[in-house]
Amino acid sequence: MIQDRLWGASHAFDHPVAKWITIGVGVALVVALIIIGILSAAGVVKDPFRKELWKRTLAWAVLAPLMIVPVLLGAAWTILGVTLLSLACYSEFARATGLFREKLVSAVVGIGILAVNFAALDHWYGFFVALFPLTVIVIAATAILPDSPKGYLQRVGLGVLAFMLFGSSLAHVSYMANDKDYRPIILMLLLGVQLNDVFAFCTGKTLGHRKIVPHTSPGKTLGGHLGALVLTTPLIAVIAHYVFPDTDLDKPGWLILLGVIVSVSGQMGDLMISSIKRDIGIKDMGTAIPGHGGVLDRVNSVLLAAPAVFHYVGYFVGFGLDQPPRIMTGP
Amino acid sequence: MEEWKFQPSRDLGLTATERLGSLRRESGLIESIGHRIWWAWIGCYLKLFHRMAVRGRENLPAEAPFVLVANHSSHLDVFALASPCPGRLRDRIFPIAAGDAFFEKVPVAAFAAYALNALPLWRRHCDPRDLEEMRRRLTEEPCAYVLFPEGTRSRTGEMGPFRRGIGALVASTLVPVIPCWLEGAFAAFPPQNRFPRPTKLTLRVGVPLRFPATPNDKAGWTEVASQVEAAVRALRPLGPPAGSPPAPSP
Repeated sequence: MIQDRLWGASHAFDHPVAKWITIGVGVALVVALIIIGILSAAGVVKDPFRKELWKRTLAWAVLAPLMIVPVLLGAAWTILGVTLLSLACYSEFARATGLFREKLVSAVVGIGILAVNFAALDHWYGFFVALFPLTVIVIAATAILPDSPKGYLQRVGLGVLAFMLFGSSLAHVSYMANDKDYRPIILMLLLGVQLNDVFAFCTGKTLGHRKIVPHTSPGKTLGGHLGALVLTTPLIAVIAHYVFPDTDLDKPGWLILLGVIVSVSGQMGDLMISSIKRDIGIKDMGTAIPGHGGVLDRVNSVLLAAPAVFHYVGYFVGFGLDQPPRIMTGP
Repeated sequence: MEEWKFQPSRDLGLTATERLGSLRRESGLIESIGHRIWWAWIGCYLKLFHRMAVRGRENLPAEAPFVLVANHSSHLDVFALASPCPGRLRDRIFPIAAGDAFFEKVPVAAFAAYALNALPLWRRHCDPRDLEEMRRRLTEEPCAYVLFPEGTRSRTGEMGPFRRGIGALVASTLVPVIPCWLEGAFAAFPPQNRFPRPTKLTLRVGVPLRFPATPNDKAGWTEVASQVEAAVRALRPLGPPAGSPPAPSP
């Protein structure tokens, strides 16, 4: 049973929601490419907007499978994917903030990321939770070793924030994979936050006038945020109704609140990365994804949403409560 | 309350491949581990295979910035020169390597970046801005360079004339240039050989030279180059170098 969950690619579409999200994303991408192709051929969209549109859409055509396929393949692949994503995020953050020069702190955060994802893979909730304070302790202690108190607070502060966001926070997605039916949950979360971004972009372009945080992100408008909230909330509520049928969460009010949590935490994650970039004075966190910027510019919205959704769902339903704990370290 | 000062990596915004061959490349944790492993292994190799000896070690600075220069007759030279430097400076000691030989193919460039920590200098189409960038980085970071002002390996074992590029890095600054003479490298691994022979290597480290009053222009650079060349030559032991062919009679 454990092996099936970890490596059981043949169970990819056991749950109808997993199947429908995968089909939906696939169809949406193909349709988007066709529409852009027609618009380009008809000369409706012109350079440089046309090039930008192609670049972004093609990047999505690569990114979407990269996010969905590991989830479908099995829990072990999901956790491996999250681990690599976490390390990539940390690398970008460290290079942008200058924290990468603190090799000891970097090593501790890196080991912390590996450990917290191991705890998730092992289904060891105690260790998973303990790793946040433990890693903070080790960061605070190792940052003493260079014996240069100037900048101590900055390197510890950056190290702790980095571990919180890219280690602890993202590993909640890994931990979700301990549930027997983890696929629809994770796919719902990823689809929710990413579509939330797309909704905010589209409604912001068409309806947005009043800027909400012009100093942080001049492109963001109240219309965009409300539009995303109005569109994402019912979408998540409906999907969640099929993901968590007949549970305590399966009440209209709680389902809608879940949608609100996904939308708001997703948008806050986006604005958080914008604030970090503004504070440092850079435009993109990296160059990994053409048209989008760095990895962090794309996954920013998952950073805050993952723990928020995890603990909200955990309150009503829990994750993998019927699964054996400590599958590797246990007796 | 004072703001935190962020210093993003110099190479921010470059793609992974651009970074490898960039003069702005800065090492992260992975590269740092790569450098430690590589240079530890090189240290063992030089000691065991070439019984390498260092004379005048006290002339090696403990802190950056500095520039190490020497005669160039084999691929061993860069190892012999950079290896005795303090390990904690490893990520900031940059051997300067020929761009056309070490940075045109990605796997070779990755080795140059992740193991050697080399930076490229493009010999045929050298952009003057590259030298300015290197000059600025030397004092700003601060970092250290290991380079061979002859520009290429000697094909005879005799040291060739120094090019003035070295002057563009240090003229009008307090950055010390440490002249060195490496003995035995041509006998151990001449350019025509495929593998090195276990010949003894001796590195003589000279007294640092500084050029604060030398003008930062072409005449000044030439002046720096000739002074450094003379200092390197003065370190050469008397008599023909061991293992080299006899000097041609006039």
